[in-house]
Amino acid sequence: MSLDIFSQYLINCLMLGMIYAMVAVGFTLFFGVLDVIQFAHGDVLMAGGFGALVAYAATQAVGIANSWVQLLLMVVSTTVMTAALGALVARFLVLPLRNAPPLNTLLITLMMGMVLREAVRLVYPNGSNPQPFPSLLPHDAWRVGGLDLRVDSLILLVVGLLLIAGLHLLITRSKLGLAIRAVAQDGETARVMGINFNRIVLLTFGLGSAMGALGGVMRGLYYTEITFDVGLLLGVIGFAAAILGGLGNLYGAILGGFLFAVLQAIGAVALPVLLPDFPSAYKDVFAFTVVIVLIGWKPTGLIAEKTSERV
Amino acid sequence: MPLGVAMLVLLALSWALLGAETQTEVFGLFGVTAVIAVIASRLKFTESLGRVAVEHERAVSIACVVGILILMALFHEDHFPLLLLGSVLLYATACLGLNIQFGYVGIVNFAGASFFGIGAYTTAVLASHTAMPHLLILAAGGVMAALVGCVLLLPVLRTRGHYGALVTIAFATLFRSFLEVNDTLGGPQGLKIPSLQFFGWDLGEGLIFGGVEFSFYANYVFFALLLCMAAYVCVRRVERSWLGVAMDMVRTDEIAASVFGISIARQKIIAFVLGNLLVGIAGAAYGMMTNYIAPNNFTFADSLILVSMLLLGGIGNPLGVFPAAALILILPEKLQFIQEYRFLLYGTVIIFILLFRAQGLLPRGIRRFFPCAENDPRQ
Amino acid sequence: MKKHHAKKLFSSSLLALAIACSALNAQAKDTVKIAFVGPLTGGNSAVGIGGRNSTDLAVKLANENPKNKYHYELVVLDDECKPNIGVQVVTKIASDKSIIGSVSHYCSAVAMSALDIYKKFGLPMITWGTVLPDITYGQKIAEIHRVNGTMVNQNEVAAEFMTKLGYKTWAILHDTTDYGKGHNKYFSEYLTKDGGKILGTFGVTADQQDFTAELTKVKELNPEVVYFGGLTPIGVRIRAQMERLGLKAQFEGTSGIRSDSYIESLGNDLAEGTLTFNEGAPLEKMPKGEEFKAAYARYGYDQPYEAYGPFAFAAADLIIQAIEKVGPNRKEVTDELARTRDVDTLVGRVTFDDHGQNIIPLITKYVVQDGKWVIWEESDYGTGKRKLKGL
Repeated sequence: MSLDIFSQYLINCLMLGMIYAMVAVGFTLFFGVLDVIQFAHGDVLMAGGFGALVAYAATQAVGIANSWVQLLLMVVSTTVMTAALGALVARFLVLPLRNAPPLNTLLITLMMGMVLREAVRLVYPNGSNPQPFPSLLPHDAWRVGGLDLRVDSLILLVVGLLLIAGLHLLITRSKLGLAIRAVAQDGETARVMGINFNRIVLLTFGLGSAMGALGGVMRGLYYTEITFDVGLLLGVIGFAAAILGGLGNLYGAILGGFLFAVLQAIGAVALPVLLPDFPSAYKDVFAFTVVIVLIGWKPTGLIAEKTSERV
Repeated sequence: MPLGVAMLVLLALSWALLGAETQTEVFGLFGVTAVIAVIASRLKFTESLGRVAVEHERAVSIACVVGILILMALFHEDHFPLLLLGSVLLYATACLGLNIQFGYVGIVNFAGASFFGIGAYTTAVLASHTAMPHLLILAAGGVMAALVGCVLLLPVLRTRGHYGALVTIAFATLFRSFLEVNDTLGGPQGLKIPSLQFFGWDLGEGLIFGGVEFSFYANYVFFALLLCMAAYVCVRRVERSWLGVAMDMVRTDEIAASVFGISIARQKIIAFVLGNLLVGIAGAAYGMMTNYIAPNNFTFADSLILVSMLLLGGIGNPLGVFPAAALILILPEKLQFIQEYRFLLYGTVIIFILLFRAQGLLPRGIRRFFPCAENDPRQ
Repeated sequence: MKKHHAKKLFSSSLLALAIACSALNAQAKDTVKIAFVGPLTGGNSAVGIGGRNSTDLAVKLANENPKNKYHYELVVLDDECKPNIGVQVVTKIASDKSIIGSVSHYCSAVAMSALDIYKKFGLPMITWGTVLPDITYGQKIAEIHRVNGTMVNQNEVAAEFMTKLGYKTWAILHDTTDYGKGHNKYFSEYLTKDGGKILGTFGVTADQQDFTAELTKVKELNPEVVYFGGLTPIGVRIRAQMERLGLKAQFEGTSGIRSDSYIESLGNDLAEGTLTFNEGAPLEKMPKGEEFKAAYARYGYDQPYEAYGPFAFAAADLIIQAIEKVGPNRKEVTDELARTRDVDTLVGRVTFDDHGQNIIPLITKYVVQDGKWVIWEESDYGTGKRKLKGL
């Protein structure tokens, strides 16, 4: 394999891993504060992508032509909208079920995801079909050897890394982050310390959902199309990545996301070369088998949760 | 007395639901059900009903069986309601298996549909390529599901909670992918399964009984009912035995359980294998009833449907899976008249049910150690 | 309980009033029910809704026709593209004696699972979108008919056409559903026979979103043509990601991507030059084609009819014609459909062979030109004004 092809694979994996990581980060945040799985997260992300499309149509309708302004408006409006959606889900579906078995939260958010998905499909014009996502970033390509480097891919990659780093700073350095970590460690004690538990939960759900929405917009810009059912698979993979990395741990989610992307690429490309009878369609079988083996080896995730047994 | 009334109302409602066809009928039925539910909860009827139901457990079970037989007689020649009834019973059987895992020992299993599928595929292969008696094939379906499940035992034992969920989610995804890519098991088109036969009696043939013609699905409903009863008795026996007590203990506190000398691994292995066995048998019977299986029936989404039934019914209460399975299987079917909007409404309905009954429809009560005692001190 | 009764009485009288009104229009004709089954929810719903609308249109047009002896009512059921749900809904329509015929199924696995039920209950059906050969040729069932061609026909033409154009090397991507796998099988078979060389074959799952790994490998193999066997959503993703990776090969699809939304989602530039092959005569060339388009617009359906809508329309039309001829009797309709020879429909002449398969002589080749699917022979590419990639 030549160097340029290899770098192409590397960029693919980085980009895909980043999108997975951004979804996984949401799962990990929700799990951190409430010990619940918000299964509608993938669909919230999809709703974010469609929200951006609506915002784009609105900017066109009022006659804004500069693509950077359009992009900015899209990102801002969809982030706000999706954060609100996430907070609403937390307020009206997740918090009321706090005293029920935690799995019931999974069921109610699962149904919420289905409602969101079907609603977008039915309400958005011609929503059953894939929708074009405007490619607003400059898409010149540099040719380095045999490698086609596109400017927009690079921008997305850098922005994604900055976002994840920014979230990390927010969680570790800011007062809000401190509160989130306090609630994550022990909700009762955090309350005693004067932290408004419900507010922090809502904020965290908003924050995680907003990250998901940004992931949705990035996904849209990268693939230049979006379909109503993208959240389904992204949700499952993001969830798997979050757990594989170790729930409640930001680094774990990121690691899990990138690992997943690499596993899929190996399954699709490298294995069929090594084993001639191995059709590349088995790549999911391969990726998920490795996940089972890994989780059997490290039962609390690759970066283990640092909690002692509470008796 | 209240028990009898409730049973009659339930019977009437399920009869109406299975028979309802048009928009007005279905919506009218929704309205009536909601009104009954509200009135019942206002009059504190549900609570006393719950208490009575626990006291007269045997009567309730018998009433359920009789009710299903009555429904079967009422619909004796309508194929479609009978097919639905049969599906509900078989899915409920599968949920009973999952109930041992989720509800008693506390293992999460998000690959229910995969084990269901293993049962069905085993049946398809054995029934079309060997001359094994079909009852044995059904059992083989269950055993196969349990055996394949054993591959997952090590990661399942080592992990807990959400991490355990990942193991089974990964398995569910790869299982479906594998079925689709692999052509020896029919590939994406699936496989045909011959209909069930007992000692020369073909369940796929309609029966004429005392001058009345019965749909061939009536045979399957009857068979599914027998299977379901056996599974229910088995699950209840497990719950009431020392095994059940040990499992409950493992679920509530593993450390405390191990302090009392209970082998956590042993309980979990028993629960996982037994649960998968039941799911596999249910899947095998389902495959024979529908005569056709394809990978699309056994996706991760289908596993989630099974889990939904369990959760909606109330984790740990084997009685809860019946109304939940009925709701989750029949509701989308009855919403066919709103065509592409039906899943939107279906999702919303389930969300509202959960908001009003956060613990599920029939949550599991506190274990009663002396079920026969007249004057239980906690009553 | 009494209240409920009153309500029921009220609603049923309303219903009776509505029926009376419509009956007045229809001059007291007998009502005959036909069914439509297809995916209306989930990933395949776009095509399903298109088929539903087209069938609905056929029924409405039949009801408008004063010469018709019966008034038709459409019963619509969603099979979710899942075999077990398919068994359920087909049992429902088959055991409802008032339903005389059915326009059924887009997903082949669902059709396969339900074949025996149509046979058992003697319900004549015409499938409007399934392409698996086994549905008609697997066993001989009198009730089963198909208006569209199988995947065998279109791939035979596709392979021959492409090799004649002068292309020599291919990379094949296909989804792992019965649709994609079948296309891969038949296309590979015919292509090897015609002397084409397949450099690599990649199966992808139907809900996959990222194809960069496979496509980078394809780039490394450097084929002249990328063939994709699958439906519009993945087709759009693959084409868009080819561009992102700078993959310059010619893109060739199957009937599954010939939809307007393929072009809409990609934009004219990216879609330009995409080739696909479709069974049946092109709608524009058919005498009833413009009429169909106008009627579809007149009834204001909010979703397009998609690639298989015209087939659903034709299937419904055939069933209605048969009922008009022999009356609402399942057995008679089945026999009548078997006698279908050279009947003019929206999708061309239809002749059912002894397996109920329409022997369509024609496969139409399409290419995207300036944001439209254009018939190859009439396109700038066909006349030599423009060149496909790599030629």
